[in-house]
Amino acid sequence: MDFSHYAPLWGEALLTALAVLVVLLGSLMKDSGKLMGYLSAAGIVAALAIVANTLTIAKPAIFFFDTVSVDALSQFFKAVFLIVSLLVVIASLSKYTGKGADVYYALLLFATVGMMVVASSVDLVTLFVGFELASLSTYALAAFDKSKKNLEAAMKYFIFGSVSSAFMLFGFSLLYGMTGSTKLADIAAASLADFGPATLVALLFVIAGFAFKMALVPFHMWAPDTYEGAPALVSAMLAAGSKKMGFAAAFRVLLIGLIALRMEWYLAFAILAAVTMTLGNLAACWQDNVRRILAYSSIAQAGYIAIGFVVVGAAYGAAPVTAFNGLAVPAAQLGIAGALLLILGHALMKTGAFIGTAQVASMVSASSEKDPDDISNYAGLAQRAPITAFCMLIFMFALAGIPPTAGYIGKFVLFSSAIYSGLLWLAVIAILNSALSLVYYLRIISYMYLKEPAGPKVSEPKGYVVALVLTLIAVVWIGVFPQSFVDWALQAAAVLLPQ
Amino acid sequence: MIANAISLMIIVPLIGALVSFFAGSKAKFVALVASLIPLVLSLQMYMEFDKTSKIMQFVESYNWVPTLGVKYTVGVDGIGFPLLLLSTIVTVLVIIYSWGETKKPNQYFALLLLNEVGVLGVFTALDFFLFYIFWEIVLIPMFFLIGSWGGPRKDYAAIKFFIYTHVASLVMLLAIFALYFTYQLPDGSRTFDMLTLLQATSDKTIFPTSLLNIIFAGLLLGFLVKMPAFPFHTWLPDAHVEAPTAGSVVLAALLLKMGGYGLFRVIMPMLPNVDKAFVTIIAIIAVLSIVYGAFMALAQKDIKKLVAYSSVSHMGFVTLGAVAFTWMSIQGAMFQQFSHGIITCVLFMSAGTIQHVVGTRVIADLGGLADRMPKFAVLMMAGFMASLGLPGMSGFVAEFMVLTGSYPTLPTYTIIVVFLSVATTAAYHLWAMQKAMFGPILKKYMNVHDPHSYELFSMAMIIVLTLIFGIQPGLITDIMGTAATQLMEPVVTLSQMGVI
Repeated sequence: MDFSHYAPLWGEALLTALAVLVVLLGSLMKDSGKLMGYLSAAGIVAALAIVANTLTIAKPAIFFFDTVSVDALSQFFKAVFLIVSLLVVIASLSKYTGKGADVYYALLLFATVGMMVVASSVDLVTLFVGFELASLSTYALAAFDKSKKNLEAAMKYFIFGSVSSAFMLFGFSLLYGMTGSTKLADIAAASLADFGPATLVALLFVIAGFAFKMALVPFHMWAPDTYEGAPALVSAMLAAGSKKMGFAAAFRVLLIGLIALRMEWYLAFAILAAVTMTLGNLAACWQDNVRRILAYSSIAQAGYIAIGFVVVGAAYGAAPVTAFNGLAVPAAQLGIAGALLLILGHALMKTGAFIGTAQVASMVSASSEKDPDDISNYAGLAQRAPITAFCMLIFMFALAGIPPTAGYIGKFVLFSSAIYSGLLWLAVIAILNSALSLVYYLRIISYMYLKEPAGPKVSEPKGYVVALVLTLIAVVWIGVFPQSFVDWALQAAAVLLPQ
Repeated sequence: MIANAISLMIIVPLIGALVSFFAGSKAKFVALVASLIPLVLSLQMYMEFDKTSKIMQFVESYNWVPTLGVKYTVGVDGIGFPLLLLSTIVTVLVIIYSWGETKKPNQYFALLLLNEVGVLGVFTALDFFLFYIFWEIVLIPMFFLIGSWGGPRKDYAAIKFFIYTHVASLVMLLAIFALYFTYQLPDGSRTFDMLTLLQATSDKTIFPTSLLNIIFAGLLLGFLVKMPAFPFHTWLPDAHVEAPTAGSVVLAALLLKMGGYGLFRVIMPMLPNVDKAFVTIIAIIAVLSIVYGAFMALAQKDIKKLVAYSSVSHMGFVTLGAVAFTWMSIQGAMFQQFSHGIITCVLFMSAGTIQHVVGTRVIADLGGLADRMPKFAVLMMAGFMASLGLPGMSGFVAEFMVLTGSYPTLPTYTIIVVFLSVATTAAYHLWAMQKAMFGPILKKYMNVHDPHSYELFSMAMIIVLTLIFGIQPGLITDIMGTAATQLMEPVVTLSQMGVI
């Protein structure tokens, strides 16, 4: 058997083996938490290197009887997932070092593998297995600190998650029943229109299943409670990683498998996108808990990203009228690329922001009994923890889409693609929302920088600082030198469109 | 000639901002050096600047995001150069004026330098992508200057300033997208190049009037809010009242000029091709700003708010001169930008000095300060005279040119302005001056004295400049005259100029 044939998938294999190893070693050795953390970080870096090798793979490599595809799109998402979990692991080195830490790192690794499988799967069953692997690991992670709040958050997340999985599975089963195949390519080739309303029911369930994961209104109820209650670093993983898995799955299933139904899901996403960003931003303005603000902001961002689907639905198959640097780019491709750039940017910014909240919570919880995530704890953060505050400042501006940051580039390409495909109304709503979001981002900033400190200066744990600064560099780097990222996203987007 | 002069002028304050952030109490020296270098560079550029040429000068162009057609292109012509000069002069003087700042001086001076980076970028960028980035960057230092060093309602004022002007910028961004996706270069690709896109707007087959009207309205809104023009001015009094003196000075002297610059750079080349109704709308906005600003100033109790409303009024002249579209009115409007930029510094510095010497800015509570602050009183008086348009000072030249130049094309509006604003303007300046500085000194002010010498020095330097440009306006208006001719002709792109 020729293992080198599977070289593009070594990353997944490595992380799976490592996760098992971490659990085994952890049960044999005492006080090995820190070591496990370093091992996991090293493993993720190695996996990242393997993914980087095939980052812009020109021709998709198909494995396991046409169920797993390694292409530019899958590698884009894998890179995002690996970067997020690397940052989370680095930050965790300052928190999870004691007993049971091995399980924490193992669960993180399993979750990452699950997301990577989803990114690559072109088959409904493989996709579902990856989805569940990631979900089950994160259910356990959400309750990891075992506080009352944790348990409530995890319970909520678990129940909503299971229901959404059930929806999704039911949708998948209908598709299988109608087309006789679970492969996306076969589903795309089948004439779904013959089945009349049943196709709409299938579509409805599939979208509902994904929308839960993506936290689109009205399937978003779990997100604020879970992001607030789960350990902060796990929230980072959920908002930045697991949520993006929902997008990865939705891109594949809707744009390849169900492209024939695009007029139907186009309408659904147009409404979902507009409602989600508006409600997310409005709700965020009224929160006093920073993690809840971030949760609602991440709902709003999901609304922006969903514009990508609307643009594809509106402009699918339209001939490119725009050439970019000599390359003809249709509106649909630009829309997907914009969504991907925002996914990348948002993954970084949200990871950073949640790590920041973890740092603030760590300096508060020792001293008082009040809610560690309350915005009053951020007063004067610039003087108490200058590095954390500065990184948070940049993340807030980036989330609001102020140039030159990753958040700006993502929104720039995405909103411009909306104009390109003639969706002026959606672009206007998105832009107004973007301005509205400043209300709560500036509120956090004004607490950090304009208010008197709520306590003495504190030391900033090394793990958090390293993770924050790395994220900061990435966010600004993408903003200042966007060229290679734009090209990369366009290449990944091309995978989803007929050549 | 210095290679890459403009990029150097943008980078030096940026590095200076970083250094002074970490320089602690030495920040002011770092800031002074970092702001003097751009000043020297801009004076050097002034020597080398070809005043009669309509061609972009000191152009630099590099590919930045070729996939999206984004280039890093900077350069100056007669429209941008005077404002670049203004920015470097004002920044240095503001830093000197703030020499005694003791509250977090490292951040304070870093923000002033960062602000300079933003405005210099706006006045030199020739690519819409780059332009927009600088346009937005400017918000950040001003937000913190108001928010950290401001008065009692600083949080509210800072957030209102940021959101209000950001919304307008976003509308402008949508209009830029529309330009971008409508015009294709001959090889089929897209570009954000400002001059290329502006030239294309005159082609009715690419930009039908109905489409261009919408784009034009979006861009216009972005610039009018920044200027600010009635009825989009409401963020300005709040921001000014709460801002620290240096913040007010750069806000009025430089940030408002970004809006005016937008009118000349972007709006005027499009004006001949859009619906004629826009001329009427803009002219009405201009007249309302002038008259409303003057009357509001007359009604103010706080001397700083009075100065803030006088800015609305004076910036209205810029709008009026631009929309009148005669050679003289355009030249006058540009000179008004420059002239108001320097004069308003003295006014805000005066208000700031009164605040920290006396402890209040309420005009009714002041009186007879000239008795104890003779040097300051002379400078303040000179500033107020310049602002009300005393002949021999730059404000008079500018407003005279605007009114004379506007009469042939917009006679009714010009007459309304003359009748309603000239006397009012003189009235609020003189009334405030008389009430605050002259008359018998109040007992409680027996112990006040002249402010620090660095504050007096900054103010004196500006008065000298006002006089120089009032007596010899040709130093600057020669450049503007060429720019005005250029604005009345079709747009020429950089490649047609042969500079890239």
